[in-house]
Amino acid sequence: MTELTPANRRFLAFDLDDTEREQAGLNGHTIEQLSDYLDRGRSPADPSIDDSPDCDIALRGLERLRRSHKALLERDLERESLRDDSWVSSILKNITLEAHAGREIPLTHPSPTARLVVTEGAVRGVLRETGDRVQNVFVGRCVLVGDVSVPGTPISIAVDVTVFPGENIPLLAEQLRHAMYVALGKYTELVVATIDITVSDLQAPPDASAQNKEH
Amino acid sequence: MPGTLREQVASPLAGATDQMLADRAADGDLRAFEVLVRRYGPLMRVYAARVLGSNDETDDVVQESFITAWQHLGTLDDGSAVKSWLMRIVSRKSIDRLRARRQHVNIDDTDAPAPDHHAPHALAEAESQTEALARVLAALPEDQRRCWTLRELAEYSYGDIAAELNLPLSTVRGLLARARKTLLREMEEWR
Repeated sequence: MTELTPANRRFLAFDLDDTEREQAGLNGHTIEQLSDYLDRGRSPADPSIDDSPDCDIALRGLERLRRSHKALLERDLERESLRDDSWVSSILKNITLEAHAGREIPLTHPSPTARLVVTEGAVRGVLRETGDRVQNVFVGRCVLVGDVSVPGTPISIAVDVTVFPGENIPLLAEQLRHAMYVALGKYTELVVATIDITVSDLQAPPDASAQNKEH
Repeated sequence: MPGTLREQVASPLAGATDQMLADRAADGDLRAFEVLVRRYGPLMRVYAARVLGSNDETDDVVQESFITAWQHLGTLDDGSAVKSWLMRIVSRKSIDRLRARRQHVNIDDTDAPAPDHHAPHALAEAESQTEALARVLAALPEDQRRCWTLRELAEYSYGDIAAELNLPLSTVRGLLARARKTLLREMEEWR
């Protein structure tokens, strides 16, 4: 790094406890104020900072500290990403799907003594998987609205989806709605009056750079 | 078709927005949750290691944090805020650990003197600026380090830090100012 600061010129004129000394060495400012100034992108410009050689030295020190901070975080994250995958599997192994099972939805069975149910969570899973089979759509939240515990009671379903740009939204929604009706008919006995699909967001297809950041 | 389904959806999910992943995970989608674990787990681990000052308990703290997150995802109103929500959880878990570890020490003591940790000159010359910063950070008094780490890694506002640590805003401001000056001074001496 090219050091523009005059040789050996340092800004150690402050001590940790004496604000007056700090301000005296920084043209009336404090390190905290200079740090806030950097946070604001040095805007609006403050000549009493910009034109002060002492402040300039301190600002460079702060910037150097930030760069080191960034480099340290990158190094640490890099180190973490090189670890084997066991920590991920260990986490996933220790969580229970029951936490999101939701309500129980009865299924009829010929035997009067048998009691079959499918969970609300499983139904949401079916809806998601169905959506994932449709191109260029992400299914987000799925909500079953109504009393699912009483067989035959009509319910409605609210689904949030994200659609990639350039898609024909009404057509895609209809395609998705149809696929969901079919899947629900296959796996449940729910009487579904409506499936309301809300296109909550438009997003660009995931690109490689976004993925690289995570791995 | 079932065989190819997983491959088809696994890669798009990796690029999905935080909001989408949080919503799906709140609905019980383990694969979406796994993407969140991979996306923010490393940062949470770095965070926990910094706050705890060691790596020994990091695995436990991060694992506990994700288990808590999974159980409470339904309470997260805004899925796009999942990163700061996760950082808040790991921050609480880390602080709980500190409290448990040092029940007999008042960790809110803001006047703890900075330990004298000046490295021998030869050592200082051999280490990189990054390593020097890691060493100086680790030597900060605990209360300063907690504030600093919340600010720098979890990107908390001063107000968030005050609320999280149950400290007056002025105290947080003072701790951060002191930490910043100490870091500046130490890094300057290292140059």
